[in-house]
Amino acid sequence: MRKFVIRRLLQLIPLLIGISLISFFVIHLAPGDPTNLFVDPSVQPEELARIRANFGLDKPVIVQYFYWLKNVLRGDFGTSYFTGKPVVLEIAERLPATLLLMVSSMLITLIITIPLGVYSAVKKGKFFDQFFTVFSFAGMAIPSFWLGLMLMLLFAVQLHWFPAVGMFSYQLKDAVWYIKALDVMHHMFLPLLTMTILSLAGMSRYQRAAMLEVLKEEYIKTARAKGLPEKVVIFKHALRNALIPTVTILGLSLSGLFSGAFIIETIFAWPGMGRLGVQAIFSRNYPLIMGVVMLSAVLIALGNLLADIGYALVDPRIRYGKK
Amino acid sequence: MIFKNRIGKFVISILLLLSLLGCTGDSSREIKKRAVELPKLSQMDPNGTLVLALGGEVSILNPILSTDTTSSAVEGTIFSGMIRFNKHLEPEPDLATHWKVSKDGKVWTFYLKKNVFWQDGHPFTAADVKFTFDSILNPKVNTVRRSNYIIDGVPIKFRVVDKYTVQAILPKPYAPFIVHAAMSIIPKHLLAGKDINRAEFNRNPIGTGPFKLADWQVGNHVIVERNENYFGKKPCLKKIIYKIIPDENARLVALEAGEIDSAGVPPKDYKRMWTIPSVNIFEYDVLLYVYLGFNLANPIFRDVTVRQAFAHATNKDQLISLVLKGLGSRADVPNAPVSWAYADDVVKYKYDLKKANALLDQAGWKLNSDGIREKNGKKLAFTIIINQGNKEREKAAIILQQQYKKIGAKVKIRVLEWSALLRIVNAPKGPKNFDAVIMGWSLGLDPDGYIIWHSSQYPRGFNFIDYKNKKVDHWLEVGRTELNRKKRKATYAKIYQEIAKDVPYIFLWYPRAVSAISKRVGGLDPNPGPAGAFLDIEDVFVIK
Amino acid sequence: MNQFKKNKFAIFGLVVLGLFIFLAVFANVISPYNPESIVESETQPPSLKHWFGTDEIGRDILSRVFYGSRISLTVGFVAVVIAIIIGIVFGALSGYFGGFLDTVLMRFVDVMLAFPSIFLILTIQIMLSPNIYNVMIVIGLTSWMGVARLVRGEFLTQKERQYVEAAHAIGASNLRIIFRHILPNAIAPIVVAATLGMAGAILTESALSFLGLGVQPPTPSWGNMLMDAQAYMRDAPWIAIFPGLFILLSVLSLYFVGEGLRQVFNPKE
Repeated sequence: MRKFVIRRLLQLIPLLIGISLISFFVIHLAPGDPTNLFVDPSVQPEELARIRANFGLDKPVIVQYFYWLKNVLRGDFGTSYFTGKPVVLEIAERLPATLLLMVSSMLITLIITIPLGVYSAVKKGKFFDQFFTVFSFAGMAIPSFWLGLMLMLLFAVQLHWFPAVGMFSYQLKDAVWYIKALDVMHHMFLPLLTMTILSLAGMSRYQRAAMLEVLKEEYIKTARAKGLPEKVVIFKHALRNALIPTVTILGLSLSGLFSGAFIIETIFAWPGMGRLGVQAIFSRNYPLIMGVVMLSAVLIALGNLLADIGYALVDPRIRYGKK
Repeated sequence: MIFKNRIGKFVISILLLLSLLGCTGDSSREIKKRAVELPKLSQMDPNGTLVLALGGEVSILNPILSTDTTSSAVEGTIFSGMIRFNKHLEPEPDLATHWKVSKDGKVWTFYLKKNVFWQDGHPFTAADVKFTFDSILNPKVNTVRRSNYIIDGVPIKFRVVDKYTVQAILPKPYAPFIVHAAMSIIPKHLLAGKDINRAEFNRNPIGTGPFKLADWQVGNHVIVERNENYFGKKPCLKKIIYKIIPDENARLVALEAGEIDSAGVPPKDYKRMWTIPSVNIFEYDVLLYVYLGFNLANPIFRDVTVRQAFAHATNKDQLISLVLKGLGSRADVPNAPVSWAYADDVVKYKYDLKKANALLDQAGWKLNSDGIREKNGKKLAFTIIINQGNKEREKAAIILQQQYKKIGAKVKIRVLEWSALLRIVNAPKGPKNFDAVIMGWSLGLDPDGYIIWHSSQYPRGFNFIDYKNKKVDHWLEVGRTELNRKKRKATYAKIYQEIAKDVPYIFLWYPRAVSAISKRVGGLDPNPGPAGAFLDIEDVFVIK
Repeated sequence: MNQFKKNKFAIFGLVVLGLFIFLAVFANVISPYNPESIVESETQPPSLKHWFGTDEIGRDILSRVFYGSRISLTVGFVAVVIAIIIGIVFGALSGYFGGFLDTVLMRFVDVMLAFPSIFLILTIQIMLSPNIYNVMIVIGLTSWMGVARLVRGEFLTQKERQYVEAAHAIGASNLRIIFRHILPNAIAPIVVAATLGMAGAILTESALSFLGLGVQPPTPSWGNMLMDAQAYMRDAPWIAIFPGLFILLSVLSLYFVGEGLRQVFNPKE
């Protein structure tokens, strides 16, 4: 197991280099550069050229890449062009908000998905399953920004139950920690609900499918034939095996989850990394784009690794090291 | 059966939800305008908090480095300059008590207030002023304002005369300097010898302004607090909170929910805003015009008759009513009516399809069988480029496409991301690769239009349409060295006449800004100038 | 086939899709107005004259939705075709030849999968400049990895089968074996993936529109109509409801059909 983890971690290195190369060149190929945002009628082109040179953007892209790589290896991800802040600091300020949203949504999704998927599979073809099928597909079929805005209109504008935007109330700057935590939860409700509805649908489909698959297996039939109570069959024998694909899918859905989070952060003014990254792309803030992309890639890759480890824990039959 | 019933119930509840959302729509078509009702000064809360919204992130709080309007909005409360501009766009003393310009117009002397302190208690002196401008002129500092202080390649010199007197020595008379002299001043004692681009100061600014930074939660909010030692009038507000809400609709939602005190109102929400009893509506003109610019290097548009024809085919009233819902007025000159230099004694092109068609016939563009004009086998077809994300310009392009169809022109629309569009119009060499573009110029406080219209500003510069007119060139040069306002205004009037005759742009409209501000906010100007209702922030208060 | 018929969701999906395809093909015949022309005063609620009402500058929403289905379905279809082609090439080469080539290609797939897709989509879209063709290309270029893995898996199992050995024995070329012998056997899961992929592509187009980089106006797509409409949701909800409903129904139908097909091809379930 340890060997496996180490090997997988080592495999990350070429993966990350590949990602950094592709993204570095793609973003530099996009037209324009950060000084475009500085344009107003009083700014002379020479000024922009001077600032460009100050940023080191007058050198060939390949030179810039190696320069960047060299600094990254020393732990320096560069400085954001517009804030003058180190990229690492800039991301560190935003990452917790994104992680909070993503992890909570993932946990809630799992908590809801597993029983729903199982129940739906057990009651296959019955009303609950039918209703649930329609509901979960509908959840997958709604554009995320549309769902977010609808929920905002209903719960924030009409009902005033939840704040429409933001993460904290400024009034509670000096409040005790649990009040602050409650405040964040209050703010988090709508973005979390949106995200959960979107990922819930897909995940529970997988859970249901996996459960159906398992229920057809011989050993389940054997267990039933042995006269074991249905509850024991389902929870002790079937569920354990049906969880395997769920864990894998969870790992694989991380990339999509990131993308979804970015759009949701924009709608709900959630101060997360996604909004930062999308803005960085539009403003050609190269060091920041690279920082956000690399960090997301590392998180996604680690997520997949964790999923694989979880896989091994759920199913001890799977061994690593060989093959 | 049960199945159907339950589905039915589900459908009904969905419909209910939709109708709930539908109900909020405004059924009445008429706008009932009402006068602004401001609270009385006696109702003032001496420890009040005002909550404003910002449309973007605050990137950096250093006035010489920031380039975005959100950062400048916050900086405006923390820093002060030697002078500032009032609602009529007239210069007023701020950190300076008064200033003098030498006879030859080259030496500007500013006399500074004494007993002014930075927010950390350090005294403010002429050395800070010199340091600010020297920093801007330092090529290592990533500021775009440097060229404002360089005239014909020669930088302006700043000289400390004594502790409270500072001089700017210009290589030649330059009227727009007054605007750049209003630059916010940064403290020398905190920044001298440091790399300003990356200084910690940019996150923890210290100014001389009415408010000081109290809390900055990146991406969420910025809080400024009253500066009790402010040299000017003591602010009525204890705190201003700037919430960051990037989405325009979300800002309006937040205003209606009472989470913020003010929001800009886009035309589409204008009518509905009047139905909300808890807010006052302020309308004001801004220093901005929107235009359709022709690439004069393009053979179609080289002919002034063709450009005039398009001017006559442009129904500006329809544009204003559809794009701005009436919140704007037609433009005819390259300046806005709120500017002191505005003059509109120029040729105006009335919407007249007959005349437009006649002009095109005269120019040799004949209608072919499929309703498109042709000349020497070339079709009267061109592409309007616009930047992505600007819904107003997008709509304007669609409407112009329809309008020009009526005179036999085939218009295509191409939407480009902002940087991509700039790369085309700012290409270092001509001819530039576009036919026509819809853009807007946000005008500075000074009416100087050298950078936009002077022939030396092509291809490098903002005269990207390749406009050349010797007379205009000459008057532009005269205009920026003339310090007498009256004479200057007459010069600009001549420039506008000439430009209107040449039709390099079709001036489309002047937008009218609308703000909705909660009725709990007082001390506002009911008829604000272009800088908006919060210009005199010291006077603004909220009720208990 | 009976399996499919029994699945009433799949039948529903097929009917809806058929209808939408009909609308898309005959948009120019059945649309009452030109989708890009201003035909009425703005934001008129649905009426007999304009069944779905008019939008914020007075265009007929019904006609725009019809033309929009042409654009959106084409975007979805072409994007998926691109993704399938790239996926098949990668998966087939990888699975059939194995070895070093397999390692290299699959590492590349890993790289692509580890990107938060939205970044890749956004930057490529900016690089190529946003228009309808590039929307298709970008979505295709960023969604082929699943297909590649799927095809590779199929090839890994199929290439051990007897018929492949037989083909080798009679001297068939590699290319012939890949395309004439193995690929047809892998077509079923690919069709299912394509159906689901098309649903994904339609949604991705709308997300791109939300960020302003989707199909550009005045060409109507469901995504950009919905995006423009969100600003009017409270004053003129009909502008948003119809394109939203069409996206929902089409994506839902594609999922249902995909699910139905999966059951047909995989009768074990």
